[in-house]
Amino acid sequence: MEATNGQSKAGDWQNFERVLLPPIRDLHRLDVYEKEYDGYQAIQKVLREWEPGEVIDEVKQANIRGRGGAAFNAGLKWSFMPPKDDRPRYLACNADESEPGTYKDRQIMEYNPHLMFEGILIANYAMQLDACYVYVRGEYVDWIDHMQRELDKIYEKGYVGENIFGSDFSTEIILHKGAGAYICGEETSLMDSLEGKRGYPRIKPPFPAQKGLWGNPTTINNVETLSHVTLVMRHGADWFSDIGAPTHPGSTIYGISGHVNRPGCYEYPTGMLISDLIEKVCGGMRDGKKLKAVIPGGSSVPPLRADMIDGVTMDADSLREAGSMLGTAGMLVLNEDTDMVTWLRRVNHFYQHESCGQCTPCREGTGWLEAIVTRIDEGEGNLRDLDLLIDLCDQMEGRTICAFADAAAWPVRYTIERFREDFEAKCKPAVFDTGGVAMTA
Amino acid sequence: MSEFNIKKPVVPLPDMDPEPQIPEDELFFTEEELEQIERYKEKYPTNRSAVMPALWMAQQKFGFLPPEVMQLVADALDLPYAHVFGAATFYTQYYKEKKGTYVLDVCCSFSCQACGSYDVLDYLEEKLGIHAGETTEDGRFTIQEVECLGSCGTAPMLQVTNGPYVHNLTEEKLDQLIEDLRNDKMPPFTSVTLPQDEDEMEGNRRSDVEHTDTYQTPPETKRWI
Repeated sequence: MEATNGQSKAGDWQNFERVLLPPIRDLHRLDVYEKEYDGYQAIQKVLREWEPGEVIDEVKQANIRGRGGAAFNAGLKWSFMPPKDDRPRYLACNADESEPGTYKDRQIMEYNPHLMFEGILIANYAMQLDACYVYVRGEYVDWIDHMQRELDKIYEKGYVGENIFGSDFSTEIILHKGAGAYICGEETSLMDSLEGKRGYPRIKPPFPAQKGLWGNPTTINNVETLSHVTLVMRHGADWFSDIGAPTHPGSTIYGISGHVNRPGCYEYPTGMLISDLIEKVCGGMRDGKKLKAVIPGGSSVPPLRADMIDGVTMDADSLREAGSMLGTAGMLVLNEDTDMVTWLRRVNHFYQHESCGQCTPCREGTGWLEAIVTRIDEGEGNLRDLDLLIDLCDQMEGRTICAFADAAAWPVRYTIERFREDFEAKCKPAVFDTGGVAMTA
Repeated sequence: MSEFNIKKPVVPLPDMDPEPQIPEDELFFTEEELEQIERYKEKYPTNRSAVMPALWMAQQKFGFLPPEVMQLVADALDLPYAHVFGAATFYTQYYKEKKGTYVLDVCCSFSCQACGSYDVLDYLEEKLGIHAGETTEDGRFTIQEVECLGSCGTAPMLQVTNGPYVHNLTEEKLDQLIEDLRNDKMPPFTSVTLPQDEDEMEGNRRSDVEHTDTYQTPPETKRWI
């Protein structure tokens, strides 16, 4: 499984000037955002000069790949919306980041919320939507208050609401506070939660663009994706697609955690080498220990062994080739002291806890994955348990309404495949007790 | 006489007619609160969507959500009790039983696990003399092991009663936190400076926050689970 690319696609990243989180003091304040960052110019230009359909084409051409995990072209997603009829139409902004390892959207919400609001307004105009519900996870209560203050300011100035900026277009932005359910980050489950129900994912089709919130056409985008929309409409699609990896352009916020000297959220172009991120950006491994594993995009993506990251870059295509996924670009770095069995046990506990319980393979499967890995971790497992785990994964993947069961099964499957020695070291040595008699013919 | 060997359900069924835990004379919403609920309703096309904000408000007022409070919310929204019960029991941040005044939610998902969250949990358990999931006898503290709180770079970290985050935990920081909470002083909102801001802007970019922190090298992990 060797990646064929091998070189950084991030260009001169050392001198990259940040665009999502540019170094401007107090950028989160409306007056600063407008004065020093040309804030709300893009939406005004769009309202004056652009037809809604042209905006969708421009965003499609920029190829903003969804930053929430699926890496799907945002403009293409917008184009699935049916023509306007007498039904209301909605946008749901997914700010429910709860994937372990991911904390990038919170940085935008804290340090540059107006970039997101402007992106929402542009999206609402492009698809001619009546309202946007921003679904923020319930734990981010301080940041919800912070955003509400800023949102009230733009309501007051007439940037959102009736006839925004004096045009004949009206639209609303409403903040909604979740209450601690990982599954609500899944788009259809988010819609159920917004409707006041238990957050159960829905069967697709019908897709949200046909039947979404309250049965009406709906599009769901991630916070970072919508922030990029503002930048695309300000600087043009070509400017955007020149940054970073050609097939996965733009800048992105890498949220790095784990055994590195300087963890944190860093904004750089996509297509950074994983080794550059660890060694040059994060100041190397803590205590100079050796790298053991990298989980490039949140708990759901397959972990990579240290010898698998040579030349692998942080974009969807390179990571797919290497046998993992970009996910949310929330990267966890683990050193040589890590026991991958104990680590996996905790990942499984997470999925067992967060499974919504709607589909049997997932509800029961996640529990069994945790129970069996715990058994191995406690030294009570047999080698055949590894096959049992793989068999369980086969029974879960692709057999449920949403991708949660797949996300729970992949770490198990690939951790066993790639770190088998850790598991074998903890399993009982033999299946049969031969009483000391050698079993030879 | 055969009993047909019928097994009892593994999960105990909930008490269908529990004793009310909120005194009857306190169980009401004030005029202002009812107006607030009306404003919640206006934000959405259906009343049912206002369940989550209304439950949040009820939890703020009563501290937790026993069945009689769920019924109160259902009445205020003109919804069947089952809809409110269904939503309240799905989400972990709605407390269905009484907790301590201060709930310490220690994040133990994988990034925090790898950076010593179980050591934090051990320390708290020993200090307060309770296990995770339990409440101290004086009703002041509850410790909980929770899933990812979205602050993986400042691991280990915790959240106090669905409110402020406390980052980069050390034993000294935990001692200070417990002492402050014993004096009813909640930890302040803390803005964590981006590493690139530290380099390019010499610190946090927000001039409106008093308390800032930075990302730090995580500590060694003693206990992994």
